[in-house]
Amino acid sequence: MKSFSILICLLACIAGLWVSCEKNIPTQLEFSHYEFSESDANGGTWKPVLLTSASQIGIPAPQSTSSASYLAELADVKAASSQLTAQQRAAVEYWGNNGLLRWNELARELAAKYNLPPAPNPDGTYGAPDPANPDRYPQFPFAHPPYACRMFAYWSAAQMDALISAWHYKHLYNRPAPYKVDNTIQPHLPVSDLPSYPSDAAVVAAVSEAILGAMFPLEKAYLNQRALEHKNAALWSGSNVWSDVTAGDSLGRAVAAVFLARASTDGMRNAQAPKPVSDSLAAAALLYRGTKWVNLEEPPRPVGITPLFGRVKLWCVPNVEAVRPPQPPAIGSPEFEQAAAELRDIAKNLTTEQRRIANFWSDGIGTYTPPGHWNRRATELIVKNRYNPLRSARTYAYMNMAVMDAGISCWDAKYYYHYPRPIQAIPGFKTILGTPNFPAYTSGHSTFSAAAATVLGHIFPSEKQTLDAWAKEAADSRLYGGIHYRFDSEEGLKQGRAVAAYSVAIAIADGAE
Amino acid sequence: MKRDFLSRTIFGVLFICAMCNLKAQTPIDGIMMSKNSVCTALTFTQDNWDHYWEGTLKRDNGNIGVAQRQTIAPMFSWGITDRINLLGSINWVRTHATQGQLAGVSGLQDWNVWLKFKALQAGNWSLYAIGGASGPASNYLPDYVPLNLGLGSYEGSLRLLTEYDFGQGFFGRAFAAWHLRSNTTIERTYYYTTQGFYSDKVDMPNAVTYGATLGKWLLDDGLRLELSLDGLYTTGGHDIRRQDVGFPSNKMVFLRAGGMARYHFPPSNKIGLFVSAAQVLEGRNVGRSFLWSGGVLFQFYK
Repeated sequence: MKSFSILICLLACIAGLWVSCEKNIPTQLEFSHYEFSESDANGGTWKPVLLTSASQIGIPAPQSTSSASYLAELADVKAASSQLTAQQRAAVEYWGNNGLLRWNELARELAAKYNLPPAPNPDGTYGAPDPANPDRYPQFPFAHPPYACRMFAYWSAAQMDALISAWHYKHLYNRPAPYKVDNTIQPHLPVSDLPSYPSDAAVVAAVSEAILGAMFPLEKAYLNQRALEHKNAALWSGSNVWSDVTAGDSLGRAVAAVFLARASTDGMRNAQAPKPVSDSLAAAALLYRGTKWVNLEEPPRPVGITPLFGRVKLWCVPNVEAVRPPQPPAIGSPEFEQAAAELRDIAKNLTTEQRRIANFWSDGIGTYTPPGHWNRRATELIVKNRYNPLRSARTYAYMNMAVMDAGISCWDAKYYYHYPRPIQAIPGFKTILGTPNFPAYTSGHSTFSAAAATVLGHIFPSEKQTLDAWAKEAADSRLYGGIHYRFDSEEGLKQGRAVAAYSVAIAIADGAE
Repeated sequence: MKRDFLSRTIFGVLFICAMCNLKAQTPIDGIMMSKNSVCTALTFTQDNWDHYWEGTLKRDNGNIGVAQRQTIAPMFSWGITDRINLLGSINWVRTHATQGQLAGVSGLQDWNVWLKFKALQAGNWSLYAIGGASGPASNYLPDYVPLNLGLGSYEGSLRLLTEYDFGQGFFGRAFAAWHLRSNTTIERTYYYTTQGFYSDKVDMPNAVTYGATLGKWLLDDGLRLELSLDGLYTTGGHDIRRQDVGFPSNKMVFLRAGGMARYHFPPSNKIGLFVSAAQVLEGRNVGRSFLWSGGVLFQFYK
């Protein structure tokens, strides 16, 4: 009996050690609030994307800091910020002084949550998400890469315009932050010289709630609750009085409405073309380009992902023809056979490192997609460079407009050339990644990644080499995964860089550099 | 599209070990090797399923067809004393899907060791405690459900097993085991379960396994027949979402029925053969597997 007890004790100890060694796995990027590297006092003069000027949308002039109504608001802030509950303190910590970063994270989370394709019906057909009935299966949206890149683009471009406008009014009215008016108020976040009217936190929360709510209609209640917490945190932290918040909120909503009006007519509603249209694209490609991609799932999906995404309205590129890649090698040509032989060789001799790269960049079903992956990279660089909300929004905006343009031009090429995937064109070929439901040429990963890396490399020149290497690795990852030929990836990188050049040209001239 | 699967580390091992013996040794039986005797075994297991449970929804998948898994496992058992035995095994696994485009994989899966202790013997009744540990024997990728070789986590287990001899060769056996699992490591640094995680580490649910067996010795104790029910229940984990890909930390549940026959050749009894089969009856986020297994065993006396 004694040795039995010893055995039990020993096992219990091992188990205890084991459990105590395991750390909680982070559910968000680990960064804290930080002091801004600069406040961009002239930010109100930067050129917006859709607004005709920073003052296109008006907000009421604020009450003076000596007015009775302001003093009452100030007393509220003082009372609230001096005795935060644990929950309020956690909210202030979470949102920090640049809540835009957390909203980007939330957008990535929703992209991953909704990135599930429709399941087949028992009769072998597939349902389609319906924006008019978002909660009926398959739920709306299916946040595939084109959907996600568009979501990020609208979200970030609207943030930039709204914050340019907010910066304009901040410096027009110059209302100081509560802790500057009353030095007995202890701010819970790093102080800055930014005027507080309108609240940039409220602008960001309102834009996010409106844009993400339109993109993910089933999340409206959740987004409303998060936006409310963000706005309250601005008050709890001592950064804003409530009239700062309400002014920012109305400004954010109005700017978001301008962007949502564009979104409603940008062509996305027709992108998931019906089967006859999809079939006619395939027939035209076969007739004029000699290639036709087919979906090899079982049961086959009748239409690929968004055949007409290539006709969605571009942000910075004049037209898709300007960046359309050249004709890919004919199936059976020496160039094709060489690319196919390379894939067979990679699949046969896959190294541990190649497998790791394929999986690291897989960004497939149930993930935040390649655009989400690059938004994460952008977030990390913004934190590293301690950007203020306006400059952060500008970074996201130029990157995501380029990424969406890259997606549009890439999808144009995909359905223009209708090029078969390796599993279709190479007999008996198997892959370690699931083959996506759209044609091969050019690689979406490569195009998205080169566009993102080019814009970020312009904004963060010291990181350019690293960023370009990431884009190259993302492009190569698709060969290791067996789902793209080398020419898909190489032409995709070129295409992404060509697309991004247009965005960078606009960025250079927007007054921020 | 990848799909759901069966947890290898736990019950693949159970299965493999539902065999070696003669007068001794598996982590889930009530037989002990005598001091200084050694048994070795080589087993082969084939596991096929064409339906699986996506959460609680039973479905098939045209992009998998039949998910096949073959396991070859050498194992040994050694009588340290008459009451304490050491057992070990290592699994080599090959996976294959009969439809779709995903490549199967093959390689070393997990090693396993057990320390088996006969705690009590009172008349016809005996009680055993078995401590186990297992871990990956190669750098296989757990994030490749259902064609992954295994779960990739280290595991510690404690099993309590009791056996009762009804006389005339009939016996009954029951066990329950607790399995503690470490985090497993994947090759992505973001993944979504019921929320997103910014890490390549995955928190694996712990698990409980249990089983009950009725058996009979025949032919002068040369042939043993058994009928069993056994199951697994993870204490945590999450369901596969509709049309999502399976993941190592899925909640996994199953109940399985099976039978086994083992024969050893007289007069020495040193060489034995066994066959077994089992069918998963109910499950959650696992395949509706049919498994069969066969093997040879050889015993060295001191």
